[in-house]
Amino acid sequence: MMKKLQQLGYPLFFIVMALLPVGLNDRWLAIATTFIIFTIVALSQDVVLGKAGMFNMGQALFFGMGAYTSAILNAHFGWPLLATLPVAILIPSIFGILLAGPIIHLRGDYLLVATIGFNIVFVQVLENNLGGLTGGPNGIFGLQMLTIPGLAFLQNFTPYYIALIALLLTLLIFRNLETSKAGRALHYLREDDLAAGSIGINTRVYKIFSFGLGAGIAGMAGTVYANQYSAVSPEAFNFIQSVLFFTIVLVGGSSVPGIILGVFVMFILPEIFREFATWRYFIFGFAMIFAMILRPRGLWPAKFGRIPKAFLEKG
Amino acid sequence: MDGRDLILTNVTKRFGGLVAVDDLSLHVRPGQIYGLIGPNGAGKTTAFNCITGIHACEEGSITWGGEEIRLLPPHKIVQRGIVRTFQTIRLFSQMSVAENVMSGRHIKSMQKWWHGIIHTPASKRDEKDNWRAVFDILEFFDLEKYAAYIVGALPYGIQRRVEMARAMAIDPTLLILDEPAAGLNDNETLALIETIYRIRERGITVLLIEHDMDLVMEVTEYLTVINFGKKIAQGTPEEIQKNPAVIEAYLGSEDDDF
Repeated sequence: MMKKLQQLGYPLFFIVMALLPVGLNDRWLAIATTFIIFTIVALSQDVVLGKAGMFNMGQALFFGMGAYTSAILNAHFGWPLLATLPVAILIPSIFGILLAGPIIHLRGDYLLVATIGFNIVFVQVLENNLGGLTGGPNGIFGLQMLTIPGLAFLQNFTPYYIALIALLLTLLIFRNLETSKAGRALHYLREDDLAAGSIGINTRVYKIFSFGLGAGIAGMAGTVYANQYSAVSPEAFNFIQSVLFFTIVLVGGSSVPGIILGVFVMFILPEIFREFATWRYFIFGFAMIFAMILRPRGLWPAKFGRIPKAFLEKG
Repeated sequence: MDGRDLILTNVTKRFGGLVAVDDLSLHVRPGQIYGLIGPNGAGKTTAFNCITGIHACEEGSITWGGEEIRLLPPHKIVQRGIVRTFQTIRLFSQMSVAENVMSGRHIKSMQKWWHGIIHTPASKRDEKDNWRAVFDILEFFDLEKYAAYIVGALPYGIQRRVEMARAMAIDPTLLILDEPAAGLNDNETLALIETIYRIRERGITVLLIEHDMDLVMEVTEYLTVINFGKKIAQGTPEEIQKNPAVIEAYLGSEDDDF
């Protein structure tokens, strides 16, 4: 029964998500779009924190870098947003690799502080209007949104479905990662760094790989974000955002359902309980504390033992 | 058997003022079962750590088939066919037995990093081949029925076997076992001796540290005994058993008794 539910889980999720906009007003459509985008960023955080076990608290940096890359190319150089997408994936990826290089050998807590530092520097650079491109504290606005030819009358729904396609792509990458040498290597080095080295895994290369991949996925989410709001501004990518993504992976657990659950708890519930404005973070603070005490590996922890079925039946 | 010799020449490893391994020389020949023994704290594990690249060794030389490997990092040592197990078991405890053994296939797999993002027919084939190899090894170690079990929850003796299976998955030329019988009961130790012989039959050289003297005397062909990091004797098990320096190291010198 449980197994059937799991098999049906993804198609069911996507069918529900695909039909969802029909029943939503403009405000909730925007919230649902943001929900998907934040899910993608949280998944990208999971590549580094959940899978490879590295304390990276600067994921908003790569998210923002993707968003700003798209925004700058669109606003200042007139590129269509879709054309900026590959660049918005590549640039954060390259930065992820370059930034990870010198800090990757640091132990958990030291790495955490270093990544916070990167995030703070990044926001400062944006606010100081680097090279006249980033637009200072107000950011960049008035971007041309993506349109689907012939479906201009559905323009309201376009950002939502673009986000959904991006999520689908991310989940495909996740599936491939889980069934590949590279993805398993990340799990091994999270479990035991020294043992991973002693069976021949170049731990340094795979740690950098996880940063690069995580940054690339976050960059893609950045373009989708810039498309949704047709604007970008520094405060959407500051350190507090990074903390939230970090918390989502810890509270949700390092699994796709766990992360979706985590994003729901951290972003959707606050919207539902808007009326209790000042109380909601108080309650969520406590919810986070209890989740960690009662379920230290997250609400929906990662499950292992994914062995190709053909072999299990034989043995 | 690809006849490679492991030769340590005057290897010294210091931790601050402490000399953990002092001027150690030994020669492991292809196909041998070689034992390194000594009392607690004699520097046996440190010597292993030097060979496998976990500690960088300041002095001396370690050659493997003529190549100097003293300053190589662990993963490069493994690529040259030298694989180890740990005295305190180091498995990926939240993962299944099969996934643990699969980690040994890492360097044998042809997949590139980008296959983690996009699969190709070649990478899918490679994946299947490696799982097949994993199940062959599980069969060799009689671990098939545990394949899907989370390894951290299994009994100690089985975890030891999984760790050896993982090392064997790498197809080593030289297998280094750090106290493989620690924590095993008599039956498990007997099975271990059997396994070590079967591994050697595959043409793999075995270098082992062990406290269990019965096991060492039974399986090894050649021994080096160290105490306080220094070599105090070497020879066949029969020679070692008669060696007064070894008896003194293990039983204490007669002078100490008075």
